Amino acid sequence: MKILIPLKQVPDSTVRVSVAADGKSIKTEGVTWSISPYDEYAIEMALERKDADASTVVAVVTVGPARSRDALRQALAMGCDEASLVVAEETAAPLAVARALAKVVEEAKPDLVLCGKQASDDDQGFIGPALAEVLGWAHVATITKIVPADGAAELWREVEGGHEVWKAKLPALATVHKSEKEPRYPSLPGIMKAKKKEIPERAFASLNVDSSAPALEIVAMEPPPARGAGKILKDGDAKQTAQQLATLLRDEAKVL
Amino acid sequence: MRPFAAGTERDLADAVADWARGLTPVIAEAEKAGAIPRGVIADLGRLGVLGMTIPERDGGLGASSVAFALVLEELAAAWPSLSVGVAVNSGIVAGTIVRHGTAEQRAQLLPRLLDGIGLGAFALTEPTSGSDAAALRTTARRDGEGWRIDGRKQFITNARYAPFAIVFARVGEADRVVASRPGAPSPAHAGITAFVVPLDAQGVSVGPHERKLGLHASDTSALVLDGARVGAGAVLGEEGKGFAMALAGLDGGRIGIAAQAVGIARAALSVARAYARDRKQFGRAIGEFDGVRFPLAELEARLAAARMLALRAAWLKDRGRPFTRQASMAKLFASEMAQKATHAAVQTLGGNGYMRDYAVERYARDGRATTIYEGTSEIQRLVIARSLLAA
Repeated sequence: MKILIPLKQVPDSTVRVSVAADGKSIKTEGVTWSISPYDEYAIEMALERKDADASTVVAVVTVGPARSRDALRQALAMGCDEASLVVAEETAAPLAVARALAKVVEEAKPDLVLCGKQASDDDQGFIGPALAEVLGWAHVATITKIVPADGAAELWREVEGGHEVWKAKLPALATVHKSEKEPRYPSLPGIMKAKKKEIPERAFASLNVDSSAPALEIVAMEPPPARGAGKILKDGDAKQTAQQLATLLRDEAKVL
Repeated sequence: MRPFAAGTERDLADAVADWARGLTPVIAEAEKAGAIPRGVIADLGRLGVLGMTIPERDGGLGASSVAFALVLEELAAAWPSLSVGVAVNSGIVAGTIVRHGTAEQRAQLLPRLLDGIGLGAFALTEPTSGSDAAALRTTARRDGEGWRIDGRKQFITNARYAPFAIVFARVGEADRVVASRPGAPSPAHAGITAFVVPLDAQGVSVGPHERKLGLHASDTSALVLDGARVGAGAVLGEEGKGFAMALAGLDGGRIGIAAQAVGIARAALSVARAYARDRKQFGRAIGEFDGVRFPLAELEARLAAARMLALRAAWLKDRGRPFTRQASMAKLFASEMAQKATHAAVQTLGGNGYMRDYAVERYARDGRATTIYEGTSEIQRLVIARSLLAA
């Protein structure tokens, strides 16, 4: 089985994001970049298949700026077999990215495409379903497990109080909510091997995809409002304080 | 800042640092229990850390001494007790076997140092011979095809986890194959020979886990050899050349201890720095008082210098150049710096620094060992002085 994972490089979860001077983007200076966490789960899920069946080939691809190469290298170090990069501007329209990925999928001919259910930077959750739509493939969202089943795959989803199991004929696309195990750390030999692997690169324009797409424009970005100081109720006896607290919780915090 | 290090070496260290950050939840419990969880050792095997110094032809990664020093710094910054075990297993023990083992010994022993099942031990010290290692009393006598070893080894790191130990024992005159020239006085280290002793060999037992000032999760135990039986193939290197092998092992090991001291100091200073910025007294952050920030500034400079000394020694070793003096200088300077740094960190945190809730008291206790093991500071001065003043 060949599994292809489109991944996205995002600011690491430990980075304290701040708004850039233009008011429409984030400061990228000095930011540590990582593979988006749900994409890491998708990689882990694919590598678990590879652990179970060594003939499994796991490939990763990203459409993004040149720095995304580091994320691909990280995926190779975790144990992926192949990686390729489509260099695009940061602001490529999501639908155009999905079309570019569709070209890559058509060339690579994987049996299964796994996407993280959403990227941790903009949390749109767009690429997975859009890619399935462009390809005309079956699509199952937010899976937690794959079980191969003779030309098809059982795709497990967590639902209230249990599991839902879908069976999809291959090729198919799924978005990943979580893998059974936490994503593995790259091993030191994995890092050394990854260094020796070629990561072919091509320009977004060379794929000749239709880039007409509903244009998204970011109008403004602002940090969440700073948390105000807490309130201390100190006037009155216990009964009065309890009354005040109940009033505040109901009228101000609106939790009662 | 990692001078002398190439991109790959830094990447390896970063990968280990990433993994080591995840250890935080297990450290307090493991220190209390006085043992490194087996799962952590297994992880180190799986990640390839344990085999990183072992050449590729022997199944390891063949990484440089610079990379290993950087990795030990990261492990020590996260968990000093763990870094000691790795330094001994993958530094001294693996290094000695790679340098002196026959093809057969390498094939048999090295896989057991990288499989993540155990950690190898190096047994030189005895109750009556510490700094004066050449005065060791453990004896080895020929016994049929093999050897019989008798003696007691003390303060042996990893003894409880070890699949085998490299044991230094003296082969008596009567048992020596090559007799020294008649009438010539024997040097103090005459006859000292290195043996590979499986911990499950007949006559071998491990004493109780020592209770120490720090490094509680790192195992330190005695190794009792009571008529221990090993085969003819247990001799590592040449018979009678064991003392030089031990010294060569310690030379490399000292780079590891220097790197470990750097990691411990770095971690303690980083806690102190954060605390100095946040803690307010007399209406301002305590870091605004020169009494608090000057020691931190001074130690930051010493920390950087110590790291450079350690990496320079590793860089020389990687190039096959002499590094004995440089390793001793690095170990001396870094371990003494770590005392000052960890104590300054405790002082910066004041009462909180003395409490177990903050990690700095542990770093101060753990770091204390670095001026003692693998040659005390006094022995380092002796090594440096001898090399300086040699004709």
